[in-house]
Amino acid sequence: MANRFGLPDLGVGLGLRSVHYTHIVEAQPEVDWFEILSENYMQTAGRPLEWLDAIAARYPVVMHGVSLSIGSTDPLDRAYLTELRALRDRTKARWVSDHLCWTGVSGKNTHDLLPMPYTEEALRHVAERVRAVQDFLGAPLALENPSTYVEFASEPRAPVMREWEFLARLAEEADCALLLDVNNVFVSAFNHGFDPRDYLAALPFDRVVQMHVAGHTHHGTHIIDSHIGPVVDDVWRLLGDAWQRAGGTSVLLEWDAEIPSFEVTHAEALRAKAFAPASLREPGPDDPLAGSRGTFVGPRGVKP
Amino acid sequence: MKLREEQLWFAGAVMTGAAHEEADHRLTAGPKLGPRERLDVYRHAYVARLIECLADDYPVLKVALGDDAFDALCRAYVARFPSEAPSLNAYGRRMSEVCTGFEADLARLEWAIVEVIHEPSRTPMTLESLAAVPEEAWAGAHLVASPALRLLTLEYPANDYFQAVRDGHAPAIPAPGASATVVYRSGLTVWRMGLTPPMHRVLAALVGGEPLESALALAEGEPPEQVTAWFREWVSSGLFVGVEAG
Repeated sequence: MANRFGLPDLGVGLGLRSVHYTHIVEAQPEVDWFEILSENYMQTAGRPLEWLDAIAARYPVVMHGVSLSIGSTDPLDRAYLTELRALRDRTKARWVSDHLCWTGVSGKNTHDLLPMPYTEEALRHVAERVRAVQDFLGAPLALENPSTYVEFASEPRAPVMREWEFLARLAEEADCALLLDVNNVFVSAFNHGFDPRDYLAALPFDRVVQMHVAGHTHHGTHIIDSHIGPVVDDVWRLLGDAWQRAGGTSVLLEWDAEIPSFEVTHAEALRAKAFAPASLREPGPDDPLAGSRGTFVGPRGVKP
Repeated sequence: MKLREEQLWFAGAVMTGAAHEEADHRLTAGPKLGPRERLDVYRHAYVARLIECLADDYPVLKVALGDDAFDALCRAYVARFPSEAPSLNAYGRRMSEVCTGFEADLARLEWAIVEVIHEPSRTPMTLESLAAVPEEAWAGAHLVASPALRLLTLEYPANDYFQAVRDGHAPAIPAPGASATVVYRSGLTVWRMGLTPPMHRVLAALVGGEPLESALALAEGEPPEQVTAWFREWVSSGLFVGVEAG
């Protein structure tokens, strides 16, 4: 176990999506683990839970949320947390994660992962709430770095730090775990013009319990974290870099739009195994991208 | 609290476009986009995500209205009903309130489908369990309806239209005409069953917990064997989960 929390390396998993329910339950494919979107199984007593029960009985699952809103200045939603904990207990989820973001304020939910201003005030605020959530769950919470499309301007009385500094300090102060989304690092690096390797270099990898990869949509002027399509070579390489730092860590592919067959999606996830550290890797080619037509292009559009 | 003030501004700008111009001093420019353009990524995503959710819940309403009118309807819905829940599972529940005529009925039908998906399954009652009711208790006994059941009375034949679209046809918007449909879930499958007026009278009474004898009497001039056939079909379809003595 590479992380300080003793959370297991589950292998290479896949985000559970409803279009694959029937195949998974009927064919029972060999899959290391599934990550579920927590809110899809909340505020329901019906069919989503029936599918989930069948799948959680057969596979390890991890819960990944989008509405904890850990950065919001609204009070923590106790009803939400209670339902989240009940779902964790029902599925025997290995851990629970959400995002370093806020989703709404004044009781409204945008259902988007809104960006935090990375200030000292925000750091204190989020750290306190993470500790409260961890106390409630009785377990470490894993926070994911989001893809972001804006950065807040520094002010003399409220200077803004870089996301990686904020995340590293938050993890330390709240004693929480991290879910490193490698694609999000790449997306934000392009959108804000930083080097993704600087981001990785600053993270406390002993707190990283899971990593995400995904496809994205490049609009030329910016990249959207769309979770569409295969993972680009640059993100695979970044995963390799992160995995080397993290050691044995659970890795997962997210594919959320224009979702292909289960076999295609799972095959894409399994490509990750070629980027595991040599000590964890199964025998294979030295360069997993050999013959690929992809070219590594840095976040500023220049070859590094 | 600076963070609170920042979030109130950002949420307003994303959800309604309010004080959009303040992006110029609150946000930084990126390598290729200015602050307002960067903020617009969130504005567009906010509406797009909720429209996608409504399109998932109302696929046939989208066909009936056409893409542009459905998009406009959804934008009005999003503006009027911002989400206040952590989950989107119930977000679209008020769609029939912003529709009129046939579209309102179609929205009711499609929302009933969503509702029965999210209601719990219960083990269906069997005809054998009904046979176990003592003869003297039969007249006063009543059935317990499945929670995953919705009985709809509509002003338009919305279920016929729904089925035609599902069958790959492009039906015209129907003229007004009273209809009744029961929507229910059996296991993992959602079913819709059209009901004639006497079928609806009887089923509504049974679902409402009326005693069996008086409920079945509502079939009035229907042949007894016909009423028995309906009853057997409803029970074997899983519309009821129990029988209770009167």
